[in-house]
Amino acid sequence: MTSQALLQVLTSGLLMGLIYALIAAGLSLIFGLMDVVNFAHGEFLMTAMYAMLGLVVVTHIDPMLLLPAVAAVMFVIGAAAYAGVVRHAMRSGTNSGMVQVFATFGLAITIRGLAQFFFTADYRSIPTSWLAGRTVSFGDVFLPVPQLYGAAISLATFLGLYFLIGRTDFGKALEATREDAGAVALVGIDKNRVFALGWGLGAALVGLAGAILSIFYYIHPDVGGPFALIAYVVVALGGFGSIYGALVAGIIVGLVEAITATLLPPSLKSIGIYAVYLAVVFARPRGLFGKI
Amino acid sequence: MDRRTLLLNGAAAAAVAATPALAQSGKEIVIGALYPLSGSSAPIGVDAKHAFETALDIINNNGRDIDLPLVKSASAGIAGMGAKLKLVFADHQGDPQKGRAEAERLITQDKVSAIVGTYFSSVMVTVSQTAERYQVPVVAADCSSPSLHRNNLKYFFRASAHDEMFSAAMFDFLDSLRKGGQKIESLALFYEDTIFGTDSSTAQRKLAADRGYKIVADIKYRANSPSLTAEVQQLKTSNADVLMPSSYTTDGILLIKTMGELGYKPKAILAQAAGFSEQALYDAVGSKIEGVITRGSFSLDLAAKRPAIAKINELYKARSGKDLNDNTAREFMALLVLADAIGRAKSGDGEKIREALAASEIAGEATIMPWKRVKFGPDGQNADADPVLLQYLGGKLVTVFPPQAAVAAAAWPMN
Repeated sequence: MTSQALLQVLTSGLLMGLIYALIAAGLSLIFGLMDVVNFAHGEFLMTAMYAMLGLVVVTHIDPMLLLPAVAAVMFVIGAAAYAGVVRHAMRSGTNSGMVQVFATFGLAITIRGLAQFFFTADYRSIPTSWLAGRTVSFGDVFLPVPQLYGAAISLATFLGLYFLIGRTDFGKALEATREDAGAVALVGIDKNRVFALGWGLGAALVGLAGAILSIFYYIHPDVGGPFALIAYVVVALGGFGSIYGALVAGIIVGLVEAITATLLPPSLKSIGIYAVYLAVVFARPRGLFGKI
Repeated sequence: MDRRTLLLNGAAAAAVAATPALAQSGKEIVIGALYPLSGSSAPIGVDAKHAFETALDIINNNGRDIDLPLVKSASAGIAGMGAKLKLVFADHQGDPQKGRAEAERLITQDKVSAIVGTYFSSVMVTVSQTAERYQVPVVAADCSSPSLHRNNLKYFFRASAHDEMFSAAMFDFLDSLRKGGQKIESLALFYEDTIFGTDSSTAQRKLAADRGYKIVADIKYRANSPSLTAEVQQLKTSNADVLMPSSYTTDGILLIKTMGELGYKPKAILAQAAGFSEQALYDAVGSKIEGVITRGSFSLDLAAKRPAIAKINELYKARSGKDLNDNTAREFMALLVLADAIGRAKSGDGEKIREALAASEIAGEATIMPWKRVKFGPDGQNADADPVLLQYLGGKLVTVFPPQAAVAAAAWPMN
């Protein structure tokens, strides 16, 4: 393998890794906030892709400019999912952990079923866009512009999250609620409101990722599954609840996946990811940056 | 024997006892259709449902004035029994274990007389073995792995070609191009990691060795991967004369998109159908692969010679909004072949239908396919299902090989 081919594989892995990180960020945020694993995360991703498709078909605006609109739609859907499903699941007196698992799992099946009912099972793609199909090349290394754009959005989003969580009142409320949901009520913070905002934010993050993916990936009701699986690995690798862990772990997973697919038969490329994951779980069970 | 196997065997015995009784008394013969109706391959299952329903409608309504001998004999046979066919659909989601469970349910609870299916060869492995145990015939409509008819199954039948036959046609085509002066030396195999992809690649590897082509890339990839960049990079590095993918629709779309992103333009693509028979793939990435060639069992070009095909296509299109393709044509055919056998068996009994299927002899011109005939060998395989090669030219698939079926000369190379 030439050095240029290697460079190609590594940059492609890096770009994909940044998108994995963005997908995982929302999952990690929700888990960190309220110890709930959202099993409908892949379905949120899928919903965002259909939202982008719908917006492009209706408005004829370039997908690149529609990212905030998709994030906004997903924010509402995420908050509604909390208010409509998760909040009730959390009230369960007995075995509430399992109830939450089943509630989000049921939500996932429902969303997938609704998507197949309304959008049919057909594979779809965003018709045309300014970004799609463009590449820039350095020598023999090709960088697809949609992925570059996605990587830039991902990095900018993580920077934004850093300020949102570290520097704003909302961020402090999030942190405080995560520390002790009972105590924050005493100082006048509405726990339900913070949780709903957290779910909205988590869904908006995966919404951004879905919106970017839809530019270069096909769309169908089951598209979320493989990405969600990777997101769970990223979250566990980076440390449950750590947003920055998700960024680092996403990049690691992207790179490891690309390298494994080059060194081993590509059908075994998941092995690299899970081997790294296993190693981390053995050596450092709370993940790279986990606090718990 | 534990409780579970006891129950299972009890159910099996009950099913075997119940089937003939039902068939004698009833006016309805139930056929089970096992397809992916949800999950990532759901579009295939939904289209298959339309194809089977079209065939069912034709058979149960005296052939709907369609002038095709097989349609006439099948519908007359069922009408002669004073019966109607009924379809029960079940969803296997592309999962062999779900396929086995659903086949068992169809047989024991819905009391089906026969099963058609399953698109995925991997699912057909478990379904055909389950049906064998209950002595219920299975007609594989659109599964193409050669190993399926080599499992010593008495109740397995496949009217369409398998991947060794398809691959042989592909290499015949390459040989003919070589004779015509094209330089074709190296091949790149790119195939998914279930039985469809691995069987297809085994056949292609053997043919390449026999006929003197060099395989410069042999890439088995994980189906439904989020990314195929590293895989495509290897294809690009190999720079083969012909890229030969065996991929379902999702991976096919991602393959073509990734090739575009990495600036890889293969000189030619010769695909083992599946995803490359599907309109969805061409809708998504067709403009990028003008000139791609795929194998097939069916071509709408044939309608020029047999007008009944156009009429059947209209009926199918009214249901699905799509033209018949390689997959849906094979599904339509499978139900007709099965109905024809049931009509001759004059019974819904599994063993009698099996005997009738084994005795089938249908001339190719009597069908919608470009085949010589339908006649099953002792292994259940029809050896006379001649494949065709189709090239995507000017926005549609046209037949380019073999010469007797071709309506256009192949454009080679594509890039």
